[in-house]
Amino acid sequence: MLFSKKKKNKSSTFLQSIKPSRKNNFHTHSSSQQVTEYSGKVLDKKKKQVGVFSYSCDEGCSIYLTEIFNTKLIGWLEKMDLIYFLSIKDHHEVKHYDIAIVEGVITNKKDKLELEKLRAKTDILIAMGTCTITGVPSAQRNDFNEEQMAQIQDHLDKFDYLPKVLTVPEVVKVDAEVMGCPISEKKFIEIFEKYL
Amino acid sequence: MHTHDLDISIDKISKIEGHADLDIKIRDGEVKEVNLRVMENQRFYTQAVQGKSIMAVPQLVSRICGTCSIAHLTGCIEAAEKAIGVTPSAQTILLRKLTMYSLMIRDHALHLYFFVLPDLFGIDSVLDLPEDKKEILHEALHVKEAGNNLSKLIAGRAVHAPFEQIGGFVNLPDPEETKKVVAELKSVRQYVMNLAEMFLSCNWDFKRQTNFVALATPDFSFLEGEILTSSGKRIQEKDFWEHLQSVVIPYSKASGFEFEGKEYMVGALARINLNKDNLHKNTKRDMARFLELFPSDNVCHNNLAQAIEIVHSIDHSIEILENTEFKKEEIAKPSRMSGEAVGVIEAPRGTLYYWLKVKDGNVEYANLVIPTAQNLVNMREDIKLMVSKLIDQGEETIRKEAEKLIRAYDPCMSCASHFLKINWL
Repeated sequence: MLFSKKKKNKSSTFLQSIKPSRKNNFHTHSSSQQVTEYSGKVLDKKKKQVGVFSYSCDEGCSIYLTEIFNTKLIGWLEKMDLIYFLSIKDHHEVKHYDIAIVEGVITNKKDKLELEKLRAKTDILIAMGTCTITGVPSAQRNDFNEEQMAQIQDHLDKFDYLPKVLTVPEVVKVDAEVMGCPISEKKFIEIFEKYL
Repeated sequence: MHTHDLDISIDKISKIEGHADLDIKIRDGEVKEVNLRVMENQRFYTQAVQGKSIMAVPQLVSRICGTCSIAHLTGCIEAAEKAIGVTPSAQTILLRKLTMYSLMIRDHALHLYFFVLPDLFGIDSVLDLPEDKKEILHEALHVKEAGNNLSKLIAGRAVHAPFEQIGGFVNLPDPEETKKVVAELKSVRQYVMNLAEMFLSCNWDFKRQTNFVALATPDFSFLEGEILTSSGKRIQEKDFWEHLQSVVIPYSKASGFEFEGKEYMVGALARINLNKDNLHKNTKRDMARFLELFPSDNVCHNNLAQAIEIVHSIDHSIEILENTEFKKEEIAKPSRMSGEAVGVIEAPRGTLYYWLKVKDGNVEYANLVIPTAQNLVNMREDIKLMVSKLIDQGEETIRKEAEKLIRAYDPCMSCASHFLKINWL
């Protein structure tokens, strides 16, 4: 592993650096309290492993989520490891998510496959934002007339788009929805904290 | 042994807005190709707005971009108002300036603290700051929250702001809340000065001569003015398109732009380079040391320029909020329902251009020029030069430095992918 191609020198997460996990000292490495993450660092399994994923959209909900973080992040980090959030972290392979927060719609084949794979390794999938459920505004192209379609057809073919934009529940099972464009702050906090 | 042939691919560059990939091809020790590809999926807004009511279109195009939604909203409203003969009141203009300032504070803060700062400390994420530096995360959250609360006070929300509309604002700031927001802005100002200090003392340096282009506003409010270039041009907003050429970028879902046949740069660095004299007097007083460095060809100074713009946005917002009594007004009405006009503003990442044609109250066509699309060619040329200088230092260094350089630009791929070259009939 030491010489693997993906080797990265990652420091511990913010919270771990404040509170070194005492538990880990009392258990052997086979302990059920431990889980080895991508980089070989040991995480507290009691903490929820959370990822935030953006498909086609303006990413307004994940931006709004970083605004909700202004007052909530420090508290939530007591209960979660934010292990995937491309807006603020490098990406890497993760085997399992306790909670995956998904924004956007599915507009090409590659994203459809990715979302299906994500669902397979996720316990709770939260759809974030109105477009995940209704498809619009990205799904406006589903209703384009011939003239509008003629303007975009070459681009659709060239980049392997799906014939129609799909909502998240049209592709995978969704455990909870938070509506709003962007998400309602109160509702998100209520639902997220229920699973945290 | 030096590597003479090397292919480097970075899929999904992290800590930028949206998705972009980078491919670098080195043959016989020479940089043969640099492909910076925008991989954000198209959402076809230029088509989707056709036939929609002009009154609904600003809120629709706001959805082009989550982080700078207020810029799209405001730029589109400016073009719409000019097209259908709406004259906004002096109070509306003040409220729009405050709305733009709230955007600059939280958007620049997000970029500097969450996207760039990890590179300064050599860590993956701002969440990984060492214990003796963890105060910076708290400061980051406070600065963003101050911008967020200013957005809420003036425009109703930081993302897809509901109060700002064609002809005016549908809600006025609450006087008690205003006091709290002013106090909060004052309390975070020093944090931003600390942040600027970090960017001043960092030794990042990448220079390549280019042309800077920005809308120069008389009070640095990002709204109205003439477009200036460091090559010495002065251009009216309505004529900007005449100077631009669309450039196809291979395998990219977005095109780029050139200005009069050459690459150019828009954004905070361009604005400070071309218009620093119009910053707020308190900003100029307290940041003289920083401002001496401009005009600058160092792309990394874009980050310092962003920090200066946060301080200016705080200073001018405080002045407006402490000296204005907002009164209830009627929303200004259109004088016609057909027309054609251009609106240009400065978004956080640079000059944002809207060209709208309205017929009988509906949009007949829309054309947009997005800041990141304008920077794509300049970024590619910068990466090319940078890689050629680092060619002997191996893949990891090239990879890291290329990502750092791209992040210094603060690109937004959600926005960039919006532009698709269309032949209008």
